[in-house]
Amino acid sequence: MTPRRFISPTAVLWLLIGAAYFLVPLIATFLFSLKNDQTAKCCTLANYSGVFDDPEFWKTIRLSFVIALETIAFTLALLVPTVYWVHLKLPRLRPVIGFLALVPFVVAPIILVVGLLDLYRGTPTWFYAEPYGFLAATYVILAFPYMYFSLDTGFRAIDVHTLTEASQSLGAGWLTTLFRVILPNIKAAALGGSFLTLAIVMGEFTIASLAQFKTFPVHIQYVSQNKAYQAAALTLVAFGITWAAMLALLAVGRGRGAPTTQGAR
Amino acid sequence: MLPFLAYTTAFLLLPAGTVIVGAFQTQDGGWSIDNIQKLFEEPYRTAFKNSIEVSVVTALVGGALGVAIAYAAIRDGTPRWIRGMLTTFSGVAANFAGIPLAFAFIATLGTIGIVTSFLQNVFGFSLYDWTPPGSDTTFSLFSKTGIEIVYLYFQIPLMILVIAPAIDGLRREWREAASSLGASSWQFWRYVGFPILFPSLLSAMVLLFGNSFAAYATAYGLTAGGIGLVPIVIGFFIGGDVLDDPHLAQALAFGMFVVLGLMMLAYIPLQRVSSRWVR
Amino acid sequence: MEEFQEQEYEFLRRLEEERLDRRSLLRRGLVAGAGLTILSMPAGALAARKAALADAPMRGGAIKLSELVKEAKKEGRLNTIALPPNWANYGEIIRTFTRKYGIPITSADPDASSAAENTAVRSLKGDPRAPDVLDVSPTFAIAGANEGLYAKYFTRNFKKVPRAMKDGRGFWVGDYWGVVSFGVNTAVVSTVPRSWKDLLKSEYRNKVALNGSPLTSGSAVAGVYSAAIANGGGLNDINPGIDFFAQLKAAGNFIPVQATPQTIASGQTPITIDWDYLNIAYAKEFPAAKIRTVIPSDAVYGAHYCQAINATAPHPWAARLWQEFLYSDQGQLLWLKGYSHPALFTDMVARKVVPKALIAALPAASAYSKVKFASVGQLNKARAAIATEWPKKVGA
Repeated sequence: MTPRRFISPTAVLWLLIGAAYFLVPLIATFLFSLKNDQTAKCCTLANYSGVFDDPEFWKTIRLSFVIALETIAFTLALLVPTVYWVHLKLPRLRPVIGFLALVPFVVAPIILVVGLLDLYRGTPTWFYAEPYGFLAATYVILAFPYMYFSLDTGFRAIDVHTLTEASQSLGAGWLTTLFRVILPNIKAAALGGSFLTLAIVMGEFTIASLAQFKTFPVHIQYVSQNKAYQAAALTLVAFGITWAAMLALLAVGRGRGAPTTQGAR
Repeated sequence: MLPFLAYTTAFLLLPAGTVIVGAFQTQDGGWSIDNIQKLFEEPYRTAFKNSIEVSVVTALVGGALGVAIAYAAIRDGTPRWIRGMLTTFSGVAANFAGIPLAFAFIATLGTIGIVTSFLQNVFGFSLYDWTPPGSDTTFSLFSKTGIEIVYLYFQIPLMILVIAPAIDGLRREWREAASSLGASSWQFWRYVGFPILFPSLLSAMVLLFGNSFAAYATAYGLTAGGIGLVPIVIGFFIGGDVLDDPHLAQALAFGMFVVLGLMMLAYIPLQRVSSRWVR
Repeated sequence: MEEFQEQEYEFLRRLEEERLDRRSLLRRGLVAGAGLTILSMPAGALAARKAALADAPMRGGAIKLSELVKEAKKEGRLNTIALPPNWANYGEIIRTFTRKYGIPITSADPDASSAAENTAVRSLKGDPRAPDVLDVSPTFAIAGANEGLYAKYFTRNFKKVPRAMKDGRGFWVGDYWGVVSFGVNTAVVSTVPRSWKDLLKSEYRNKVALNGSPLTSGSAVAGVYSAAIANGGGLNDINPGIDFFAQLKAAGNFIPVQATPQTIASGQTPITIDWDYLNIAYAKEFPAAKIRTVIPSDAVYGAHYCQAINATAPHPWAARLWQEFLYSDQGQLLWLKGYSHPALFTDMVARKVVPKALIAALPAASAYSKVKFASVGQLNKARAAIATEWPKKVGA
């Protein structure tokens, strides 16, 4: 039987419903952002130029991006081997790690940050007072549940044992197996987790603000509380930039070769 | 394994530990279970009830809609670019929260939002005077239902992102085999698709539950604490200008721990049962 | 002293006996030297720091202003927290201070709450990013003072500040006050409500909002207090205020959304119960909304915020200079320009140093004459009542 060539009608229905729900509030924000702040009427792009003219915008967005990339790298490095190992050798530990993964949700960011600030106050300034140290470390913890559940689903969908045995019977060592056999197969899951991590870092506010770091979400919050129309413009700009970053991540991920299973298509 | 454990201990378990310990202390440093007992009284009991209700609803509804939309985008016949757009968009939307999200919905479904105005001007239908079937008050965005509607904005994308790899695992051949044996779409799902997806669906919904339970900024932006939810009440004690009782806040956080812990406990045996179906 | 001599003697003796060769001696010397230096560094730093702190004066009147300015300039920076630029004109105050004294200000976390300010003092102790000065609500000022978070400082004008607005021990001073008002968007609302009773009218359906929840926002608590005064309660009894809001909610007039510049500008919250200085500022910022600020005729409730200096401030001299600036005529007038009533308002009016234009920008003085302030004891009682009654009667 040949694969279906045209999109199924039920698929169209669901996609349209999804599009309506997600796009309408964004459109509402967009219409608001076009209003002139003196007359409250359409249409002006002044709010957008206001957003880009603000030097804080550029400073904070650069900072957040760098921290995001750092967090993604760290989380992947920490979790991929761990989840692999658990799936391969220690399946009993899965619920334990799953539980651990829910802990970041429970310890509200506000409590987590106070506890962390207390604990790590004595550490050297290059770690503690720098967002690249303290904040990134904390964000790895925040990203952990999302990355874990993504990777877990990914690992579950492939046959870890067979792949590993096959690879090892062909003479590959652990590292090679990990990088050249396993990793390409869980690419979708790793990418999904990375998207979530990027979004988390670009959206996390409480910890950054309590620890006195000026990240992009802190800047957004500040504008939202103080400037009505520019806030709407900034929201959409932030949305657009993060989305573009993800498309870039996707392109990078695609470029490294296709996964070996074809999946539902 | 070891670096992972070390890291989580240092950055997660220790601060979490201070919370648990703090829950049992009082302002002047003594020990007591007063704060824990308070959790069972109003208004905290309502806060927990509300939080659990909102989280369950958004986990189930968000989960169902998420799977439907994800499958629609990934399955055969849908152009590939739709999947890329959907997953990246979901990545952003999954973390679009707080005041920007609250305002986006106020601008849409608020008393003078564009959808509200549209319904009024084009259909003469006044949204805020309408009583939804099965409820005893008129519709309002600033209610529990409103919060649920808004929360779906980040719940559905989260589901999409987490379930996509699992849907990939539903090999096309199985669908083809099923239809060549004469099975209808519904039968495919009931006997093949759904059972295979079930374990992943379950863990994804647990994630959604946790995500919703811990959400704070959006609900506050929307109802300013008019609807009691546990993270908001915690915020009152820790971050506000009025109340000041960090230990009660820690007790509340401890309560969150317990709820999520119970969820996990229920989840483990369910996991084991459902993964047997896949093997 | 004796111990040292003994050790020296011991050392010399050993030297003789063991015939320590030069190299090991050198090595030991180096290690000892390094060790002593490292060990003494924090001690040295601490001593230097202590010296600095010890020098920063407790009374502004005790040293010359030029000397204060000189020491502050040496520190080279001031850290502030929780000062939104549109709140009582803090934006201009910060800019003016920097321009006048050449001391740059790092304004962190403009939307932080009073609780977050005290937390920052606690968590960032010893960190050069810690806030030097604070502007907190009275409840947290008292808590902070009792916890030892603040330094004692009496500005030159301390005596002139009304007694009800300062801490006798010198830990905090009231800075400016305002009263609860209605900010009415007359582009959306045709009849302007003049009193709390008016708010119950059916034409205001889905139109009345507070600035946050009284469980967390000081301005919202003030709103409830004002309603209490108008409805048979008073400073000692906030319950009628809670009941009023329950009534307002049942009538469908109250929308439990936090009033932000966006909701105000868009007209989503056409009647905002908030501080007068904020509502008047919104009127200027969003001319299309044609906001009228009304002080309710049946209740005038006011509250002030408090200035404090961090006891472990990284820039103690700059912190004190900041306070001197704020309580000078120039600083006070800048607060007045932000539509709030500065602490020394009555004194300045008596000395005739207030420009007529600034007074004209505020609602008539007669509206303020009946203003009532709650004492800290009354506030605590009110908070406790709100904590238990508000969720029951108004929340869900």
